Amino acid sequence: MGTSLVLWGIAFSRNFIGLLTRPYETSRRIVDHGKPGELIFVAIVLACYFALASLVRVASFRPFLLTREFIELVFATSTTYGLAVLLFWSAGQLVGAHGKQKGLAIMWGYTLIPTLVWFLATSLLYVILPPPRTTSTQGVVFSLLFLLFSGVLFFWKATLAYLTLRFGLRLSLTKILIVLAVSLPVLGAYSIGMYRIGIFRIPFL
Amino acid sequence: MQNTVYQRFVRRWEEVTDLPPQTLGPLTPYYKALTRRLKVMPWPLLVIFSLLVVVGLYVLLGSAVTLIVSLLQRGF
Repeated sequence: MGTSLVLWGIAFSRNFIGLLTRPYETSRRIVDHGKPGELIFVAIVLACYFALASLVRVASFRPFLLTREFIELVFATSTTYGLAVLLFWSAGQLVGAHGKQKGLAIMWGYTLIPTLVWFLATSLLYVILPPPRTTSTQGVVFSLLFLLFSGVLFFWKATLAYLTLRFGLRLSLTKILIVLAVSLPVLGAYSIGMYRIGIFRIPFL
Repeated sequence: MQNTVYQRFVRRWEEVTDLPPQTLGPLTPYYKALTRRLKVMPWPLLVIFSLLVVVGLYVLLGSAVTLIVSLLQRGF
């Protein structure tokens, strides 16, 4: 178990760097050779973020409320992850995908990294520079930089999501667009539900 | 040794050719040009895309972009 953990850790680090520098080749490798154990490290980083987010959201050291917030976030994110994988897989089957469910699930787990980076940065900025932003020069400059940062992460996420469907389901661009057209409205409705019950205002996809 | 290298080559070849290359009719050269830059070190292109979106938003909304950022900052 210990040796496996080290090997998964090395594979995770290698894949993480690969997704930054060579996303195409790395995504193909993750789908074909990735191990579910590598996602333990994604889960650990996510748990650390949820602990921090709980502190920021509750804004007081009350163990009961913090634990409840943490469990809510973990449950919501796990459900969203499972739903997204299931939706993409089911929609993929409709258009004749012949990929591997395991590869799709592992690669989708890696696509949570850009989401996590954005949520982590936003939580920290919420503490350092709490909203609302003003229309002063500093406010506008900060807003433009924040949007630039968010946009870069969004496009990185979009690239990884495309590669997940391309290699995970072995689909062409047209079929990927069909899968997205089927899945995104469902995920959109689910996100509105999450927003209404006050878990995530922006979906943790 | 040579056999192992050959087997690895065949395995890699099968991996790469398993998925047919993406074509988009007359748009294929543009698609290839774009994806070539996204396959290795995509960050400059991601920054350019994002910059275009941000400039577009600023031209459209002016200083009201601060409202979007205030909403996004509460989004976690």
